[in-house]
Amino acid sequence: MKIKDKILIIEDEASISSFIATVLAANNYDTMIAHTGSEAITMITSHCPDLILLDLGLPDMDGSSILKFVREWSTCPIIVVSARNHERDKVEALDAGADDYIVKPFGTSELLARIRTAIRHTRTHLPNGDIAQSGQFKAMGLTIDYDKHQVLVDGENVHLTQNEYKLVSLLGKYAGRVLTYDFIIRQLWGPKAKSDNQILRVNMANIRRKIEKNPAEPKYIFTEIGVGYRMVDPD
Amino acid sequence: MSYHISACRQGEEGSVTQLPFKFRTSYQRILRDWLITAGLLALGTALSWLLMLVDPSGGFVSMIFVLMVTLTARLTNGFIYGVTASFVSVICVNYIFTYPYWEFNFTIAGYPLTFLTMLSVSVIVSTLTTQIKRQEQLRAETERETMRANLLRAVSHDLRTPLTSIMGSASAILENDAVLTPQQRMSLLRNVRSEAQWLIRMVENLLSITRMGDTEARISKELEAAEEVLASVAAKFQQRFPDIRLVLSAPEDPLFVPMDAILVEQVLMNLMENAAYHGHSTCIHLTAERQGEDAVFTVRDNGSGIAPELLPNIFSPTIHSQSHTSDKRRNMGIGLSVCRSIVKAHGGIMSAANAADGGAIFCFTLPLETLNTEDTINEDQG
Repeated sequence: MKIKDKILIIEDEASISSFIATVLAANNYDTMIAHTGSEAITMITSHCPDLILLDLGLPDMDGSSILKFVREWSTCPIIVVSARNHERDKVEALDAGADDYIVKPFGTSELLARIRTAIRHTRTHLPNGDIAQSGQFKAMGLTIDYDKHQVLVDGENVHLTQNEYKLVSLLGKYAGRVLTYDFIIRQLWGPKAKSDNQILRVNMANIRRKIEKNPAEPKYIFTEIGVGYRMVDPD
Repeated sequence: MSYHISACRQGEEGSVTQLPFKFRTSYQRILRDWLITAGLLALGTALSWLLMLVDPSGGFVSMIFVLMVTLTARLTNGFIYGVTASFVSVICVNYIFTYPYWEFNFTIAGYPLTFLTMLSVSVIVSTLTTQIKRQEQLRAETERETMRANLLRAVSHDLRTPLTSIMGSASAILENDAVLTPQQRMSLLRNVRSEAQWLIRMVENLLSITRMGDTEARISKELEAAEEVLASVAAKFQQRFPDIRLVLSAPEDPLFVPMDAILVEQVLMNLMENAAYHGHSTCIHLTAERQGEDAVFTVRDNGSGIAPELLPNIFSPTIHSQSHTSDKRRNMGIGLSVCRSIVKAHGGIMSAANAADGGAIFCFTLPLETLNTEDTINEDQG
């Protein structure tokens, strides 16, 4: 029998944690519930869950401190579940190491999809986090050829500039995850680059015109407004 | 517990980066006011000088300077400029335009009077100007307050219905578990879900209002690519309404529009939801384009259109919520009035019309501030 993935739900509202637990159990996950931050930390260290659903508003501590605590020693996927919908909160959580961010209220199908994606990423990406060094990234018609430093759409080279290629290959390396503007800028132009994301946006607008058929209906690179960009999952 | 510290850092940075901007604008305004003062005085001097060539008596000089002082007081903010202008004017008139020329002589009778006249004119006009500006501000505030109050009344009234329905359906299931058929149970649960979805939409609109803050100046605008906003809102919409066909078109050249993207998304979302719920549309066209100094967003549907009697007051919240008969209509008025306030807060204009071939067209503009994106491209590629 298949070993079930273990998911820790850190959420102080009993009604929410119980409905999430029910849905997850019905979809073949093992679930644990922690109602406070300290309880959560004990459970994380003793049970080593496969994925953590973290509510940022906890009674005894700020959820983001749990995020930082876990990230000091583990790459366990963490999905932040929060009622805070400001871009700043999302950026903060993602920069602190969260894998994804879901805003309440959410549908169960959305939650399940995000969980599947996050678990798949840890399984496929972490052992070779530097696939961007060589090989190819393929998603539908898009191919990133890391050896030749080329990006092809339906087999055609789209002739990206150096910066545009760097940007696309970075997104390809972390495909499926939202990369924040600041993260991208640091990766592309170094830690001292000023965090003005206008250049980044102009680059992205140009890339979109080269690789997408209709820039308003992107198939490959998606924008999380005010937060960052995400490359579609590879095939 | 070393992992406690940096949670608030981001927020601090935010406020730090905003500070220089505010500082600059107030500094710019002061500079502008002084320039106006200096400019008007120079104009007065030049005018008097020219007229002196025609008529050396110079009886009109004081009049010209009184006019300039009046204009200064009207066009600037605060007393200091008008008072300064009156001082300078008196000195100017005395030094340049009256006998003995190029010398000060305040002993001549009438000078104290001229000076007092100019001073009181400037003070009175400045006071009036400030008062008018305050009144305008007050009126804007009252208007905003009325809108909020109307909205709040409409919303709290409208919240009761879905809450009743949710409560009722849930109790019905809990209390009649044994007698309910599976179909009845499902239909009650579906009720609960759709009412909750309606509540979510309402709450999103309320959040938009709070996000706009108390004054219009508090909207934080950033340059956003129009196509990104369209794509983002389309993706969210498609999740909820997979059966409705969306046709998106963005301008060929990247169009960067200063906006609060979350709020503009809310506007587009409201318009599209209206098209889906009230218009029963099957296809929605979403367009962004540049028209002169504005970015124009259009949402066109192929639904039932807007009832002609609703059209004149379509953006005001109270009318609908009081006159609605069918429950389906209740969200529309609030959604649209939120749309209008968001667009207004951006300095744009919103309009609604029926298309000649059926369906509704909603259109709004967002002003583009001229910001040269071309430079950044060249800089980056060079």
